[in-house]
Amino acid sequence: MEYVISFILAIISYMVIDNVILARYFGICSFIGVGNKIKSSIGMGLAVFFVTMMAALVCWPLYNFILVPAGMEYMETIVFILVIASLVQMVGFFIKKKSMSLYKTLGIYLPLITTNCAVLGVAESNMAFDFGRSMANALGTSLGFVLVIFIFACIRVKLEGSNLPKAFKGVPIALIVAGLMAIVFMGLGGMINLGTWGLI
Amino acid sequence: MDILWAVLLMLVLAIGLACLIVLFSVIFHVEEDPRIDCVAKMLPGVNCGACGYAGCHDLADALVAKQVKKVTACKAGRKDKNFDPIIEYLKSTPGPDGSTVEVTM
Repeated sequence: MEYVISFILAIISYMVIDNVILARYFGICSFIGVGNKIKSSIGMGLAVFFVTMMAALVCWPLYNFILVPAGMEYMETIVFILVIASLVQMVGFFIKKKSMSLYKTLGIYLPLITTNCAVLGVAESNMAFDFGRSMANALGTSLGFVLVIFIFACIRVKLEGSNLPKAFKGVPIALIVAGLMAIVFMGLGGMINLGTWGLI
Repeated sequence: MDILWAVLLMLVLAIGLACLIVLFSVIFHVEEDPRIDCVAKMLPGVNCGACGYAGCHDLADALVAKQVKKVTACKAGRKDKNFDPIIEYLKSTPGPDGSTVEVTM
């Protein structure tokens, strides 16, 4: 029971308090680039969700059962990049088959998930955790990414019809919105004390 | 010796992942206009993005779809090596619907 509660608390903590975009500044490229339409933001969020989960599932055993016994921990970055790049390629094939229009909307940002630091960041930070905690990390982080990019896209769609000063149109106002969202999410800080649950 | 083991590890991993990718590309194969691949092969293939598309394959797609009328949208191509063969090919090869594409320099 204790373990289940700490698992759920860790997910919430990674999702809203320690949010991947707004508190750790990972994955900003696709956040700004794709977060201007609701449909493409959901597609991007789900693609990143899938790649993060699969990468965490594959990378943790790969590190702990192959790299550590072989004494090749220094290879972790290049091995993880290889795994992530292959996963992105597979997701690309899948999206192309299922929805050509989504594939066109995502465009260059789809292969760029390879270099999305949110994915690699999760895989790298998981090395210090046990398997359950690393799954909580991956789940919380990717859900946080989906949540934030979706809210951001909704705000930006709303902003498109508004009467903004010319200099603020497009990306500048998007950056200001992102900053305001970061302040809002900062208000949640300290809500869960991970130390009391033995999570740090 | 360490480096040999590292190379071996990467080799095994890469071959395994490559097999998976090939499997996926076969399962999720999408039929597309065969002209797109031919035009993409005739483009320089440097994927520089100077045309405004994500890569040579995307520009070839746009050329065949008549979204781009001028083949000189490609900044890296040369007239005799790339542009003339593409114009000739698109003029002489009908697509699945039987119509050909007119592009100019």
